[in-house]
Amino acid sequence: MSVSQTMSTADAKLAELIGACAKGQSQALEQLYALASPVLFGCVTRMVRRRAVAEEILQDAFVSIWQRAAQYQSTRGSPMAWMIAVARYRAIDQLRHERGAPVLMPDIPDAAAEADESGQLAGPSEAMERCMRQLTGDQQRCIEFAFVNGRSHEEISRLTGSPLGTVKSWIRRALRALRECLES
Amino acid sequence: MKPTDSKLLDRLASEYVLGTLRGPARRRFARWREELPEVDALCRSWEERLSALTLSRRPHSPSAQAWRSIAARLGFNRPSPALRWVASLALLGLLVALSSYWNSFAPPRPAGVAQISAPGQPPQWRLEYFAEPGQLHVSSANGPVLPAGHDYELWALPAGGSPVSLGLLPVRGERNRPLSESQRLALAHSTQVAVSLEPAGGSRTGQPTGPVVFIAPLRSVS
Repeated sequence: MSVSQTMSTADAKLAELIGACAKGQSQALEQLYALASPVLFGCVTRMVRRRAVAEEILQDAFVSIWQRAAQYQSTRGSPMAWMIAVARYRAIDQLRHERGAPVLMPDIPDAAAEADESGQLAGPSEAMERCMRQLTGDQQRCIEFAFVNGRSHEEISRLTGSPLGTVKSWIRRALRALRECLES
Repeated sequence: MKPTDSKLLDRLASEYVLGTLRGPARRRFARWREELPEVDALCRSWEERLSALTLSRRPHSPSAQAWRSIAARLGFNRPSPALRWVASLALLGLLVALSSYWNSFAPPRPAGVAQISAPGQPPQWRLEYFAEPGQLHVSSANGPVLPAGHDYELWALPAGGSPVSLGLLPVRGERNRPLSESQRLALAHSTQVAVSLEPAGGSRTGQPTGPVVFIAPLRSVS
């Protein structure tokens, strides 16, 4: 999806709320939280796989969104992409600091092949799905493991049973192919 | 040393956003992003592209405590005006037994029941969900005062999904309301319902836009 793509109604609402947060309107953050927290919480739970840790990250993310709302500019990207990035980077930091095997949560569904059911905030995935289908199966799995589950190269290598160099190569080619496909 | 190779920068941006750029390389790239607008632009583009991988996944609702913690951390943990007067009304005992408002024409066996109230207070609304023929019965003996230009909107909270509107709530009296297939499905997968304060006529986005003033369990009774 192009950054300059016209905003959807949902995005426009989110951008408006972020703008109100920048002006210090606490109710705007509450509304933003009601709209976006399920998406962000789903995102970080798939990465850290522990509900309590995921909730802490979600809290940090919304505090950060509140504090950085004035830095968000709707002309430079969708508000949901911006908020997802805030939450994901916090989750990546958490994963970086963790040692030992994460505890798997039974109430966190398998990241694979989960279809969204809301339709409200989940519009712009069609192009990505089309482009993901053009990748090889190995490339798709690597991108999913890395982006959706927050796995490192080394972890993906262990999970797939593939050499580290091969994994890095799959990811590099996959990212290049995705960019070409999404911009075509 | 500042980067100049645009292809290398784009590759690093893609791996930074993907999360596979780690360690000192990640920290160095994060500094470049802060200092160099062109690096920031590359990252934003990749965030935009890859965010679709998140948006195509199932959302999950955090616990109610998560928002309370955020509000407390940011210093706006005072209850909303709506919640304050709801609590006051409940304390004044303005609610009467909802059983007397049972609609005798309603089907006799609801699939689910919810009583919506402020914590520890008598219910403001009683909901009964009838799977067949797909109907919602809502009753309120003396619902909360409605701020001018607003309506209360009821939401099903299906597990792992986004809220689904079940329509506006009467402040007083009772309503029998037919349910659409999507509303029935949402209720069938919900263990909670929520009430938000919306502009008159209800949310225009299909999702709650105003403060969520109540969340109540939906108990299965059949």
